[in-house]
Amino acid sequence: MGGLIVKTARKKILAVTGLFAMGAMLLLPIVVALPALGAEEFPAAAGVVEGQSDEEKIEMGRDVYYKIEGPAIGRPAPKTEDTTEFYPRYNFESRILLWVANQQHLYYGSFVLAVPIFCMCIELAGMMTKDKAMAKRYDQLAYDFIKISITAYSITAILGGILIFTFLTLYPAFFGYLSSVFRPVMHIYALMFVAESATIYIYYYGWDMMKEGLLKWLHLSMSVVLNVIGTTLMMLANSWIGFMMSPSGVDEKGQYLGNIWHVIHTALWNPLNIHRILGNMAFGGGVVAAYAAYRFLSAKNDEERAHYDWMGYVAMTLGVAFLIPLPFAGYWLMREVYAYRQQMGITLMGGLLAWLFIIQATMIGILFLTTNYYLWQALGRMTGAERFQRYIKYLVFILVVGLLVFITPHTIVMSPAELKAMGGQQHPVLGNYGVMSAKNGGINAIIMTTILSFIWYQRGNRVPTVSWTRFGNTFMIVFFVVAGINNIWLATYGYFIPANVRIGLSVAQVVGTLSCLFIMVPFNLVMLKGARQLGPIRWGKIPVRSQYALIMLATAFTWMMGLMGYIRSSVRLYWHVNEIMRDNSPWAYTHTIGFAANVISFNVLFFWFTILFVFWLGTLGVKKAPVPAAEPVPATPVPQPATGH
Amino acid sequence: MTWLKLVEGYMPGQMIGELALSILLFALLNWSLKRAGMGIPKFWAGIGVWVFIWLYITYRIYPPIPFSVRAIYGTVTMCGIFMWVSGSEADWQEFKKPIFNVMDGITPRHRFLRTVALILIPLGIGGFAYQSYLPSFDEPIELRTVHPAPPATTKLHGKTFVLQIAENPFRVGSEGKYDQEYTNERSVVQAMGRLVKDVNDPNYNPWDPNAEGYMKYVREGGEVFFQNCHFCHGDNLNGRGLWAYAFNPIPANFTDAGTIAQLQETFVFWRVAKGGPGLPGEAFPWASVMPPWEQHLTTDEIWKVVMFEYWHTGYYPRTWD
Repeated sequence: MGGLIVKTARKKILAVTGLFAMGAMLLLPIVVALPALGAEEFPAAAGVVEGQSDEEKIEMGRDVYYKIEGPAIGRPAPKTEDTTEFYPRYNFESRILLWVANQQHLYYGSFVLAVPIFCMCIELAGMMTKDKAMAKRYDQLAYDFIKISITAYSITAILGGILIFTFLTLYPAFFGYLSSVFRPVMHIYALMFVAESATIYIYYYGWDMMKEGLLKWLHLSMSVVLNVIGTTLMMLANSWIGFMMSPSGVDEKGQYLGNIWHVIHTALWNPLNIHRILGNMAFGGGVVAAYAAYRFLSAKNDEERAHYDWMGYVAMTLGVAFLIPLPFAGYWLMREVYAYRQQMGITLMGGLLAWLFIIQATMIGILFLTTNYYLWQALGRMTGAERFQRYIKYLVFILVVGLLVFITPHTIVMSPAELKAMGGQQHPVLGNYGVMSAKNGGINAIIMTTILSFIWYQRGNRVPTVSWTRFGNTFMIVFFVVAGINNIWLATYGYFIPANVRIGLSVAQVVGTLSCLFIMVPFNLVMLKGARQLGPIRWGKIPVRSQYALIMLATAFTWMMGLMGYIRSSVRLYWHVNEIMRDNSPWAYTHTIGFAANVISFNVLFFWFTILFVFWLGTLGVKKAPVPAAEPVPATPVPQPATGH
Repeated sequence: MTWLKLVEGYMPGQMIGELALSILLFALLNWSLKRAGMGIPKFWAGIGVWVFIWLYITYRIYPPIPFSVRAIYGTVTMCGIFMWVSGSEADWQEFKKPIFNVMDGITPRHRFLRTVALILIPLGIGGFAYQSYLPSFDEPIELRTVHPAPPATTKLHGKTFVLQIAENPFRVGSEGKYDQEYTNERSVVQAMGRLVKDVNDPNYNPWDPNAEGYMKYVREGGEVFFQNCHFCHGDNLNGRGLWAYAFNPIPANFTDAGTIAQLQETFVFWRVAKGGPGLPGEAFPWASVMPPWEQHLTTDEIWKVVMFEYWHTGYYPRTWD
């Protein structure tokens, strides 16, 4: 017995050592490049002005954001004109071509960055579980996930190439400037991509070979490395868009001041990083769930249906787990945008682009409503869940009211006659719903309701048997009621206090909501330990409406990503790089909402057509058959707090 | 029926409260009928709830809600009702039953209804198409940008102001330095009565002859307001001045939570100074008749009148720290 423990411990130590060694090797390019991070370490600075006297040698510039002096060693941002020299073009709007190329690359990039994180979680769950059948099930699921992403990975690379060619062909002056500013890290990015490719292919093709013992731990470790590289890649790419929106590390002429960290670490970089990581995860979960729904709907037998029902459930749970904090990350991003430039914030949320935000709010609402709907449908596959279904109408009411408040526009579309009938631009009801205080209340109510649906789902076919059941139930009810009252009270109180204090109140609202998630869900699981089963979960026995809900969830994610990308990009208005490099192309105007929506829809359709191809490829050359449904269903889904099954 | 009156200031809460109560009563009624063996079929219950909510938002709320918002509310409600009636398989089967009964024509009555539906549905669609192609003489719908983004800087009487960081020079504390907290604390009480905290205290009543510093500047701002602005923006700053209804849209209502309460003081300063003609391109269709007050008032007077507007409404200018 003791020998076995020592052996296991040794294996784990070896695996962890292997992981660190691999991580160190793959991150070597960054370590090598580290000296370049210091401003004074740039030999190029001296090279540019070689032969001049000490006083003439270095032109100093003042950082537009950090407000510190530095050697202006870069070239100024080009002053472009509407000519083919700066803007070569086909007989088509260049901006649209770039938009489509960029969006498609981003969709696939997000997907292939998110899926390995899921794989890591599920593979780990498989390794930790003692039930061999379950372990096999999880392993199969993780493999299914990575299988979908491997083809998508190739497409991402191809789309990346297309994107660079589009930039070089249609916006050479802008791309030249951007790459000159980011030169110190451009090759790191490329090398990271090589490392990512090597790791993902070894991870995928080595699945069967590294399936046991130490090798399995090494295999899992590779997924950790894969995700570290992927996240770093994403953060580097985010630094470019962060720089375009809120430049720093350059002077007002756009000259690089020798500190690449300042160029990367712009005012909006970190909010963008957090928002994108969460967004990618939610999107990735949505796409995998849609894949599972597609396979469920085309399944030929009950076994397949059971497997893909379970897969869809796990993917949806993972996606929604990251969807819940997403609005809060978005709120932080917008707060930083306002703090960076008031006019940028107003253009986004109160001015020119405000209606797009209403559309975004609608999409967020659709995501949460669909999630709830799926969970209610999923109750149908559990005996005993009927006791919850009769209360669905009350949850619907809270969701609908929360959504109505959340999507009430501040700038209302109306005819002059309606405006006159309303007696002014401000409506005594809509005016109050149209501001942030009410909207925070609305979205928090929606999220809390979603958490409640989740808890019902956890209890679907089980009745707690712990001795303190009555206390536990009362505690949970009181907790939710207090959180709800706290939310409504703060939303109302927000009208009577200064805006900066109101922004602080939103933290208290978020804490209330997240407490429901992080305290109540685990609390419920503790209560369900040793619970009495009212019947089995009949995987695969779920109305097809639920699968369409999953597809809708994924489509809504895709549409919203396209929309938000457009909003984020168009807030720069007529700037390539905000206040540094002006866009003088003929397309430096803001599209109408209808036109923008059409392009977004085109991007969504294009993505789904191509991803259907990826799904179809996934059905070819199947190496592993789904595990028969006769095997026991999962005792505890992954990751917590998915459910208690 | 005065107790049923919608009260300005409480209307948002009243609307949600009334809707919640109605749904509860409806659920109670249905439950009682079910116990008596006469439960309302799901199909009709769904339609009934939707029709009720549509009528409520169309006729109960005053002033009338524009159609675009009612359409949003109606659609969301319809989605909610769909979620309710198909939340469980049993409910969904119950909801679909009358539709399938009519489509299958299982009894003469169902066959009659099917025939009527087959005639009415195409006629309805045709009527809708006809209506949408009829020429309309109404003014076109405008997507007016109420709060366009301000410029980074604005130049006024030879001086450039950076709107992100500029401060109202008259928003000062007892030591004569800029003090947001001190001045916020001396605003009128934000409540239905809009009361001054203590009319006998020169620290709270700007019209007290002994009022000094911030309070004195508020009074001076008030004088500017009542000499120049109240004709349009009204005595109560609610956009209902003597001349207000000569314009469409009527002037901004500063007591609404969506106007100055949402903005930095420098934004309001810029809007007052530049007026309608100074609106940027994104403020299409530039529906503002406000004169550029920089041509009539000094910079100090503009700062003071802006401060008075915040003081009088009890709102606080937006800040970021």
